[in-house]
Amino acid sequence: MATATALAPVPPPQPATNHSQMTPLPPSVFTLPQTAQLEALYTIIRSKDTTRGDFLFYSDRIIRLLVEEGLNHLPVVKKIVETPTGATYEGVGFKGKICGVSILRAGEAMEAGLREVCRSVRIGKILIQRDEETALPKLFYSKFPQDIAERYVLLLDPMLATGGSAMKAVEVIMDHGVPEDRIIFINLIASPEGLRNFCTKYPQLKVITGWIDLGLNEKAYIIPGLGDFGERRYCE
Amino acid sequence: MSSRLNHTAASSLGAALSSLSSLAPYTQYPSLMSDQEEARSVTPPKLDTNFKPAKNTVLVSHGRPPWYGENGERICDAFVVGIAGGSGSGKTHVAQQLVRSLGSIPSVIILSQDSFYKRHTEEELALAHASAFDFDHPDSIDMALFAACLSDLKACKQSNIPIYSFVTHQREDEPKYLYGAAIIIAEGIMALQDPSMRELYDLKLFVQCDSDLMLARRLKRDVQERGRSVDGILEQYLRYVKPAYDNYVLPSQRYADIIVPGSHNQVAIDLIGTHIRRKLHERTNAFRHKMAIPHLYTSPSGTVVPECKLEDLNLSILPQTRQLQGISTILRSQTSSRQDFIFFVDRLATILMEFALQFLPYSSRTVTTPVEASFTGKTLSAKYICGVSILRSGGTLERGFKRVLNDVPMGSLLVPSNITDGEPLMLHVMLPVCIRKRHMAEETWVFLLDAQIGTGASAFMAIRILLDHGVKPQHIIFVTFLVARGGGISVLRRAFPDIKIVTAEVDDIVREGWIEGSKVEGNPQGRQVWSILPGLGQIADRYYL
Repeated sequence: MATATALAPVPPPQPATNHSQMTPLPPSVFTLPQTAQLEALYTIIRSKDTTRGDFLFYSDRIIRLLVEEGLNHLPVVKKIVETPTGATYEGVGFKGKICGVSILRAGEAMEAGLREVCRSVRIGKILIQRDEETALPKLFYSKFPQDIAERYVLLLDPMLATGGSAMKAVEVIMDHGVPEDRIIFINLIASPEGLRNFCTKYPQLKVITGWIDLGLNEKAYIIPGLGDFGERRYCE
Repeated sequence: MSSRLNHTAASSLGAALSSLSSLAPYTQYPSLMSDQEEARSVTPPKLDTNFKPAKNTVLVSHGRPPWYGENGERICDAFVVGIAGGSGSGKTHVAQQLVRSLGSIPSVIILSQDSFYKRHTEEELALAHASAFDFDHPDSIDMALFAACLSDLKACKQSNIPIYSFVTHQREDEPKYLYGAAIIIAEGIMALQDPSMRELYDLKLFVQCDSDLMLARRLKRDVQERGRSVDGILEQYLRYVKPAYDNYVLPSQRYADIIVPGSHNQVAIDLIGTHIRRKLHERTNAFRHKMAIPHLYTSPSGTVVPECKLEDLNLSILPQTRQLQGISTILRSQTSSRQDFIFFVDRLATILMEFALQFLPYSSRTVTTPVEASFTGKTLSAKYICGVSILRSGGTLERGFKRVLNDVPMGSLLVPSNITDGEPLMLHVMLPVCIRKRHMAEETWVFLLDAQIGTGASAFMAIRILLDHGVKPQHIIFVTFLVARGGGISVLRRAFPDIKIVTAEVDDIVREGWIEGSKVEGNPQGRQVWSILPGLGQIADRYYL
């Protein structure tokens, strides 16, 4: 352990060409290492010519990377174990219970990625849609594990455009007794303005995002983005 | 055509032609497993006495020990035997008897000259089908290709040899892949004909046989197996076979080291077998014990290797995140359940593979997104990618590998340790097409998978195998869970400075030990094993058993 922890992370051998479109990053925002490899994954899922099979496979790979990164923000405790060779090893144990909450419908696509890493994790769901009268996000449905207040919550939504529905979801989760600093938002692509809104409102809440794009178009789609994630994932 | 013999089938046909039944000594195989063979102290699986070794196939009985030195370079060639002799003299028989007399061979190929008939033109084809083509002339053989393939095999490289079909009288399009023989037996009537071939042989044999006996065997074979008329056979014999024998085959006898009688030749074969075994023994290397804990041994040049520093090893180590530390703690704990162990091995393998993928080459690619925006990103620019796992323990990384690369070929190498001296043995090589073919191998990126690098001996052999095939060292990405800093990694690194080694963690120590109750003759302390400390035990056993 002593040797391992002393190592500084190696810089990526090949960095991405595009860079984060937001400087400086808000302190609560973490992106994945911007490597050429990650950029290649995004290039595939961004292309409108990508087949459905490839879209599923490569978006799943990114989601898994995001979930692994999100879990790194959970606390650990010191733990000493004995190895099969009879040596003692000073390591860490996972601490704290978690649950996932997906924002319907695109967020559901990230559940499988979470389950692959955390077997039998509990998953709550929220349906939020635009209220046609007020043009504001409105909660239509939510179902959470009973003890959600005692858990760390991984909030799942692939696209953060204006940030409206994500902020509404956080509001609902906090109403169920979860403190802001125990929520981790996991996101595939964010727009700078959406991220700015979100982090201003919830500065304690950690955001793990894969890529920060240029901005929004007049229809509030992320540019360059990848289109409608839920539509491509489930319907096309 | 003349050497298209199949003595095996001939012997099983019995004496249908009663007039030729006196040829029995040639077709019956006496038992060649002498008492001396039985008394060997090491007891690897023995070849059956009825075993008829196939031609153009790598035959393996107990695996090939290292053919390279600590610096990663090949220290010896394969041992090449050339066997010439007239049609029906018993070349194939001698070759097969030799293989059997060698008993427990590491790996051997009988390479047949028949494979190297030239590709024919339409006119030649017509002649061949009308039995009017001279297959016995040296020009009918592609000697340059024969020599090139033999030269590659001798240099321990792979070779893709042609396959010649006697049905269509034509070379087939798809060649046959061969690799890994420590002994190569090249046989054919013209085997000693060409100077470029003769240069490659370590031992040249000529099978001497009476002309009338050879004609008798040929008659019997062609009548029984090919339904030819006696007249036709005799015409072909007088027109092509006999002149070729007199003009080309027989004169090549002078190049032979040993003239072997075409029948009653057990003594000759025993003597040759003993010679080959001795030469082979001189050509193997054993240095696992030196690799295991390098700083405790003195190198051949007499200098003591200092204990290596982590920085010198040029490892690419996974960022030591909380999750990685937590996973590692579960894997290292001996009380973790089997279910947990498997789950976290798979999870760590996926993280590791994603990390390893960043070392592939990427180039620029521009796409249009569904919102009609343009995006210039990256795309993988490796021409071929494949995985190769070192069995068994490399298999524990395969699920993670497939989770990340779902559509690339996956090869495997079986490199177990020799029970007596702990040396790795190359027992089975199954490689993807993009490595088998040399021109593709040069452009292939290979993820080489093994659970840990302790002594590094099997990793060493696996890398050597890939380099033998023409894979570039900088295209090899070795992926492993755990590296022992004090172990064979320093020797591995010095021998192969250009390969990329990706690991999740590094431990400090390799400890020598002996398995109780594993004492066998020639191995008084029992089987020597090495373990990494603190380590996580035998990963493959915990994952599979």
